Amino acid sequence: MDFIVTFPALVAGRLVLALSPLTHYLRDDHLLSSPLTSYSRLQEGIYLFKHGIDPYSGSTFRHSPLLLSLFSTVIPLNEVTAAFLWTASDALAAWSLVRIWRARQNVSSSSRDSLIAGLYLLNPYTFLPSLGQSTSSFENALCLLSLMLACQKQASASLLALAFLIQLSLPSILLLLPLLLLLISEPTSHLASPFFFKTDIRRITPLAGQFAAYILLLSGAATLVCGNLNWVEKTWGASLTLPDLTPNPGLWWYFFTEMFDHFRPFFLIVFSVHLLIYVLPLCIKFQHDILYACYLLLGILSIFKAYPTLSDPGLFLSMLSLFPETFPYLHHPIVTALLHLHAALLLPLFHYLWLNQGTGNANFFYASTLVFGMANGAALLDSIWAGLRIAIGEVKEEHEVLQE
Amino acid sequence: MKSTTVHRFILFILSVLLLGRGVVSNSEPAAPVKQFFEKHGARESGHTNNWAVLVCSSRYWFNYRHMANALGMYRTVKRLGIPDSNIILMLADDAACNPRNKFAGCVYSNTGNYLDLYGDNIEVDYRGYEVTVENFLRVLTGRMDSSVPRSKRLLTDDRSNIFVYMTGHGGNEFLKFQDNEEISAFDIADAFEQMWQKKRYNEIFFMVDTCQANTMFSKFYSPNILATGSSEIHENSYSHENDYDIGVAVIDKFTHYVLQFMEGINKTSQASMQDLFNTFDPKKLDSHPGVRSDLFRRPLENTLVTDFFGGVAQAEVVLPALEDAIVEPEALEPETKQRQSPTREVADTFVDPSLLATGWELPNASDVTASALRQHGGPDVDYTKLMVAAARTEIALKEPFTSTLRAWASSLLILALVSWTTVPRNRRPSEH
Amino acid sequence: MPPAILIKIRKYLRPDGDKNAIRIRRRRKLIGALWASLPSVIVVLLAVGYLWMLSIPFPALGQRTYIDENALQPGQVNTHWNWDDVHRADRYLEALEQLRDRNASSVEVADYLATEFRRAGLSADTQEYSFFTTNGSKTGVNAYATFSSPRASGTEAMVISASWLSRTGEGDGTLNLRGVSTVLSLAWFLRGYSLWAKDLIFVVSDGYLEGMQAWVTEYHGVSQPNLQAEPLRLSSGVIWTALNIDYPGHSFSHLGVFFEGLNGRLPNQDLINSFQRISLYTGGVPMLVYDHRDDVEILGLPSWTPESIRDNSELKEYARRAKNVVRHVAYQARGQASGVHGLLHQFRIDAITLFAVPATGPHGFHAIGRIVESTLRTMNNLLERLHASFFFFLLVGPTTFLKIGSFLPSAVLISVAMMFCGLQGWVKAGWVWMLDEAQATKDEKVHKRVGNGRWSRRQRPVLKAVMVMAATHGLGVVVFYLLTRSWYLHNSTVAPLLVSSLLAVLPLTSLLLLPKQPAQEAPLPVMLKSLNLCLTSTVISILSVLNFSLAAVIAFLTGVPLCYASSSARSELRIAKYMAYTTLAFGWVALQRYEVLKAVANWELLGVWFAPFMCIVYAPLVLQAALVCLLPSESA
Repeated sequence: MDFIVTFPALVAGRLVLALSPLTHYLRDDHLLSSPLTSYSRLQEGIYLFKHGIDPYSGSTFRHSPLLLSLFSTVIPLNEVTAAFLWTASDALAAWSLVRIWRARQNVSSSSRDSLIAGLYLLNPYTFLPSLGQSTSSFENALCLLSLMLACQKQASASLLALAFLIQLSLPSILLLLPLLLLLISEPTSHLASPFFFKTDIRRITPLAGQFAAYILLLSGAATLVCGNLNWVEKTWGASLTLPDLTPNPGLWWYFFTEMFDHFRPFFLIVFSVHLLIYVLPLCIKFQHDILYACYLLLGILSIFKAYPTLSDPGLFLSMLSLFPETFPYLHHPIVTALLHLHAALLLPLFHYLWLNQGTGNANFFYASTLVFGMANGAALLDSIWAGLRIAIGEVKEEHEVLQE
Repeated sequence: MKSTTVHRFILFILSVLLLGRGVVSNSEPAAPVKQFFEKHGARESGHTNNWAVLVCSSRYWFNYRHMANALGMYRTVKRLGIPDSNIILMLADDAACNPRNKFAGCVYSNTGNYLDLYGDNIEVDYRGYEVTVENFLRVLTGRMDSSVPRSKRLLTDDRSNIFVYMTGHGGNEFLKFQDNEEISAFDIADAFEQMWQKKRYNEIFFMVDTCQANTMFSKFYSPNILATGSSEIHENSYSHENDYDIGVAVIDKFTHYVLQFMEGINKTSQASMQDLFNTFDPKKLDSHPGVRSDLFRRPLENTLVTDFFGGVAQAEVVLPALEDAIVEPEALEPETKQRQSPTREVADTFVDPSLLATGWELPNASDVTASALRQHGGPDVDYTKLMVAAARTEIALKEPFTSTLRAWASSLLILALVSWTTVPRNRRPSEH
Repeated sequence: MPPAILIKIRKYLRPDGDKNAIRIRRRRKLIGALWASLPSVIVVLLAVGYLWMLSIPFPALGQRTYIDENALQPGQVNTHWNWDDVHRADRYLEALEQLRDRNASSVEVADYLATEFRRAGLSADTQEYSFFTTNGSKTGVNAYATFSSPRASGTEAMVISASWLSRTGEGDGTLNLRGVSTVLSLAWFLRGYSLWAKDLIFVVSDGYLEGMQAWVTEYHGVSQPNLQAEPLRLSSGVIWTALNIDYPGHSFSHLGVFFEGLNGRLPNQDLINSFQRISLYTGGVPMLVYDHRDDVEILGLPSWTPESIRDNSELKEYARRAKNVVRHVAYQARGQASGVHGLLHQFRIDAITLFAVPATGPHGFHAIGRIVESTLRTMNNLLERLHASFFFFLLVGPTTFLKIGSFLPSAVLISVAMMFCGLQGWVKAGWVWMLDEAQATKDEKVHKRVGNGRWSRRQRPVLKAVMVMAATHGLGVVVFYLLTRSWYLHNSTVAPLLVSSLLAVLPLTSLLLLPKQPAQEAPLPVMLKSLNLCLTSTVISILSVLNFSLAAVIAFLTGVPLCYASSSARSELRIAKYMAYTTLAFGWVALQRYEVLKAVANWELLGVWFAPFMCIVYAPLVLQAALVCLLPSESA
């Protein structure tokens, strides 16, 4: 009802925060920005690019060339534009989330709109990375935009948004299949009444072709910016080969610092390929509600991505607000919440003990990332459970639902 | 040009002659050789040259004593006649010139500073971070890169007696190398077997001073190896004494007492290995030293200490029948010359400084690189080539202007793409 | 034919009938058993936690100290500090006493010190500083000198420091003249060695803590908004170790070691252990933890207790250790530095204060010089930072300590009990045991398995509870804001009463503000208690790795009260309980006025977060429990 008021108010509040000097303290935080999304590295790359040096010849710059062209032409990157840009991207993301909600409920506005926007804009996992000006905020915005457009059946735009997203972050390619399926099915909630996928599956072929064309065009544009193909290895390759072991809240970095070099390629393949195995089962199991499959895949990405930041689980948790029908069926919401509370406090604390105070070591921080992984895992598993359990509905007393 | 052809001709003639002789007297010279070596019966080891591999596998100031152990052994074998060319010394070498060393440039193994082990006549072959398990095994097995100089190689043959001494921090069947990696007893055993198969030794005397040292030689299985260690399994080896000026322990007990025994030995000494082992006193050492002689063929009483610690070989007046063998070194000469020539070729492939100047933007860079080249010679060639290449790619990388142009082009392309996807879609609802 | 017992076991493990039905039955049984035993589990956890806390000083839990780092090699050097150096120190002492007697200003003293350092051949300089706090400003002048290591690259450094005021009485004006003389004489003496692998920095800081704070923050290029300090003109490498010398008396019998730093950070234990060995074996001076002389009668038991108890050596040892533990907790929990060394900890410097415990003898400059010389030689041996695992310890005696595993569980067990209690509350808030007759009697146990009732769901007022909690923490922020105003400091008699009465009354308004809750919702106190316990438990367990003493104190104070906070039917009882809990939450505002002022000063001067923590985290948590007691439990 008052979405018109609250949304601008929230965005304005965020903008004030973004313009505050807080960003300087958060910019180089390992939790908020990874080597692939760090603002400082982006600035470095743009500087090199403007001075005629190939930014991809070193190993600091791993952002997409499209960001290079954006910030060296249309929008100059400085304190003020950055504050506006990152706030705008979060606003876009929140707005997309609200639009997805409306599409899912099949209404033009609802009383929960403000709550959903607030849950995205005030979620510390999303707004801290945004204050730290990590480009992962753009990734979230593009992801939600793409889903929103898919819900509204704007196929080309949705696929283009996904293509952009993949330019920024390769692992998001996992979303391709569910997104294509979403384009030919309905976004409204069918969790409670599962059915087999009705639409002819072959309809996705032209869409996939269109997507391939976008990818090629964008890659061509990227190559045009760089003048060579170095960017492929430095940006996309980084998520597959993990060249930079800067600590982050994910599970990869510590594992690979401890790894013997001769096992590295094997485990890199295992870690990368294992992400793919979730796509088909989730799409099949949730064929009646593909949006839910997208949501679950985002949860999986946030846990197992090579270079996650806090904004990845932030996106997952904010999207939880789209599915209030599953809430009564959650198994252990309090446990998940407490795990997240512990992890959210432990991550910065152990990071501080290790790198600032010097009384802890890397194992401390790694332990806290494990807690964080457990928290995200608990949220994901509970979401899967609730999404399936809802179909059975209320059971009579003395009956119980069992998982075999 | 001419001289080399002449040399080659002589070489050819000589080798033909040698070959002919070899065919004729194929078995004949072997007999006197055998006779020569077996003249003194089992008492003789039958070696013609002595080598020593001395390894200190520790680094850091507080492991001063391990440095001193190895240097003490170094001094002893050198004193008893093994030349530096036959000693491979692996040493972290961060003690003598450590700022913490009160006696700069000196390493002492006793309190009271009686004897400076470091002095000015030390030849460390593997220094600092070069002391690795890989390098040690390469030294033993002789599998070296062709660029490794002769001074870093163990150029032994089947008539070489080798003394291998190791010290550092160890445990059950392993020895740590500089807190970074470790070598296992199996590694050393296999390396010795490889040496045996490749006829790289006649006899080996293996001595190790570390905690649980005896486990280090428990896996040996190749013949002609005599081994001793400072302590049994589950037993520590201890340091002997502290120097309160230097502030650290200066030597380990086992090595200290071995060296003490060795001080009484000279090149002509007839002391046997058994005499050495008899001096081992568990009470003094606080550990139980071990000796392993089951692989060794000679009785220990007949094995001289100088068979391993000294560069002492039996010499005899050569019979006329063997005189021709002396020709061999001469015959080899041209061959070595040929071997050297490739390095000369490398030295010739200097990059022309003018070439550098064209690709280099800094005003003085060409001079600097050119002079650097002149100083360093051949090995720098690759580096300069790289620099030239780097400079060229940088030039090849277009000016900032063109890159901006390309960025704009890409932005426009994307803009077009976005509008293309959004505009047609607006029409679609009307189709509905 | 297998024996009958096997068949029985097999039958038990795999009974006949539908597998899933059995699974469900077994699970329900398990959950039922867990639920039934939960209250007793909580009691046991709490009891074990509290008992563990009390048993920390027991000799059985401690273990002997040892040197972990091989490189240190403590006490293995000849010391060369000799009577010449002692005489030099004596001459410096005379000069400093003259300065003291004619009331020389800070500038004069610092100039004198810098001149003397320069005469010793070192580069020396002075640094002026002033702090501006709500309680006025503090100014002073530091003097310092650097000695570059002759043979090393100078990337690392060690600090030898003395503050102008001694730590006796926490800087009440006792001068540390002998400490300063020792530093001056050491500067002459240590310069004569060429074996330093690290630079030496000599610092004589003005005041008690503030001078060193100004120096060390400037050295590390950190700016503090309320500090104006001259930048340091001389610099050196990264400081690894620092020894602060505090020698206020004429001579001393023991050397006490003070090691707590700001915000509860501790130095590496290897430094303390090395110092202990060096002090005892090189200097012949036994080390003490703090200034607790172990020959003093400490039990303080009344005289009517039997001899056998008073002379029990175990009990004596317990009392001795308990004294050290209490002192340690008092420093660490409040985040206070127990000496000037504590300021250096914030920059990852391992530092301790050597406190010459005043006595009539037998030691003086000769002993302390030798000990410092030898300790510096030991620290000079370091090649890398001391190991990370040696920062978590509880020093109960000069040679005995507790490892993290021996003391951490005490607080964590209480925190786990609170977590269980909170989860229990969560379940209670979401489910209610309904009788078929639809008349809910209190006694659940009777009906639980008997039958004629069932669990039914009800809504949890999560959002309301979270809002109440947020409001209490907001109130905490307001309190902290009030405490740091200058009018509060200037009216230290009236203001605390005003604030505390405000705090007592303000939460009462929540009674009026809360709307009637719908019948199908759980009562707010149940929900609030559950979330409050979960949050408190999290705070305690997270805090225990950062500052164990504070976590233990919080656990000790809140464990039982928060677990057993409950509303009751009678409103007088509710008000009484509420008052008690509020006193626990905010009582210190009125009762501990001096402590409040000190904590605020520490926050402003040194960035000790104890004051904001108490206001914004601790007090609101207890206040939430107070509200649990205050709010009516029945929705009617």
